[in-house]
Amino acid sequence: MSRGLKLTDVLVTIVISIVFGIVYKLWGPLYYLVKPFGIQLDQLIYGMWFIAAIVAFLIIRKPGVALLAEIAASSGEFLLGSEFGLEVLLYGVVQGLFAEIVFMAARYKRFDVAIVSFAALSSGVGSLIFDYYKGYIGDLAVWNLSLMVGFRLIGSILIAGVGGYYLVKALEATGVTNLVRPTTKQDYDALDQ
Amino acid sequence: MNLDLTIKKTWLYKINPSLKLLVMVLLFIGVLFVHQLNMIVYGTLSALLLLILFSGHPPKRLALLSIPFIIVFVSTASSMILFGKGDTTWFKWGLIHITEESFYRGIHLGFRALVFATLGLTFSLTTRPVYLFYSLMQQVKLNPKYAYSFMAGFRLIPIMIEEFQTIRNAMVVRGVQQQKGIRSFYFKLKSYSIPLLSQSIRRAHRIAVAMEAKRFSEVKKRTFYYKIGFSGYDVVFIVSWVFLIGAAYYLSLNVPILPTGDVRYE
Repeated sequence: MSRGLKLTDVLVTIVISIVFGIVYKLWGPLYYLVKPFGIQLDQLIYGMWFIAAIVAFLIIRKPGVALLAEIAASSGEFLLGSEFGLEVLLYGVVQGLFAEIVFMAARYKRFDVAIVSFAALSSGVGSLIFDYYKGYIGDLAVWNLSLMVGFRLIGSILIAGVGGYYLVKALEATGVTNLVRPTTKQDYDALDQ
Repeated sequence: MNLDLTIKKTWLYKINPSLKLLVMVLLFIGVLFVHQLNMIVYGTLSALLLLILFSGHPPKRLALLSIPFIIVFVSTASSMILFGKGDTTWFKWGLIHITEESFYRGIHLGFRALVFATLGLTFSLTTRPVYLFYSLMQQVKLNPKYAYSFMAGFRLIPIMIEEFQTIRNAMVVRGVQQQKGIRSFYFKLKSYSIPLLSQSIRRAHRIAVAMEAKRFSEVKKRTFYYKIGFSGYDVVFIVSWVFLIGAAYYLSLNVPILPTGDVRYE
């Protein structure tokens, strides 16, 4: 049983991610419509931009999938002509990498709601680090910055973490995930009976 | 995506796509180190100049595509203008505190967003995704497994949109009741995303099986339908950016538009 990504894994990951890429693209205008209110309410919905990594990882369950999914989703968003332009690509790489690190730390063996929430939180932290350099967020008034960080992290856990987890739960009910998941020990045991 | 509407193929279309992407990413990273407001204003003007003169699209369409830029500019700038740190107060009302420093920093951020958006639009208007992935395979040695998956994925977008409409029509025909508020949002999310995602997974799986059945493999030596190399236009592209950046730097020092330098708060 090889651990590497096969063509099926790559293709399924990328196609799922492109679905999310379209969602990411549509999420942009929504985000910018909420943003001018100023009290950082927009940050509550920021978490949607981390969901591709979580969902793809929960479906395929292999190393590298989270990073690939986030890169694919962001390049889909980019090639569809995102109003954020180039930055989505680099944010995608950073966010995917931060989610991947969490899954790697769990040795790709945990698929529960806690670990995916943690991965979503990690993506959120990654995006904030990038924002520190790109958006001078360190120069915001302290109360405003705290709201921003708090809202973004809460939003990422709720939307990408918990939301992504239950989305995959609902997908499992359709049986479609059995097509692409690697065989487990239980599958072999079931054959022996 | 809008390439079917292309009217004129300018020299920007003939640049090696990998090189174009690399230059754009380098420019992006470079912009992160620009803290002088005037420099970024001139830099944005350079990028806009390139877009308007050489994208090959009529000005009307470019204007239409640029509408979101204005929204992005305003909303990126607004948070920093209203709530940024600064010492020279211009206006204070409740939590809103506009200072000279925060104002210029906000404008700087707006221009940053604008230059990223302009570069991104220039790239996506003048690059065919298929050429980009063929070029990445040939020049950057991207594994064909990834490149072909991306190309297949992009081809599925119209089918996804069709499927979305089918689901919507099916719900109308069957008289699905519209709920209100947050519950309707949740219901809609679930009734669209699950069928769309599950069908996409099934389709992707079938395509992968079919590709392998047709002997798609990862042999090192493979031939390409589109051969993409380098040309004189690549040199023109690099030279013109060196010139534009140089001009922006010179103008920002000698003909400043706005009366401020470094926008960071000490």
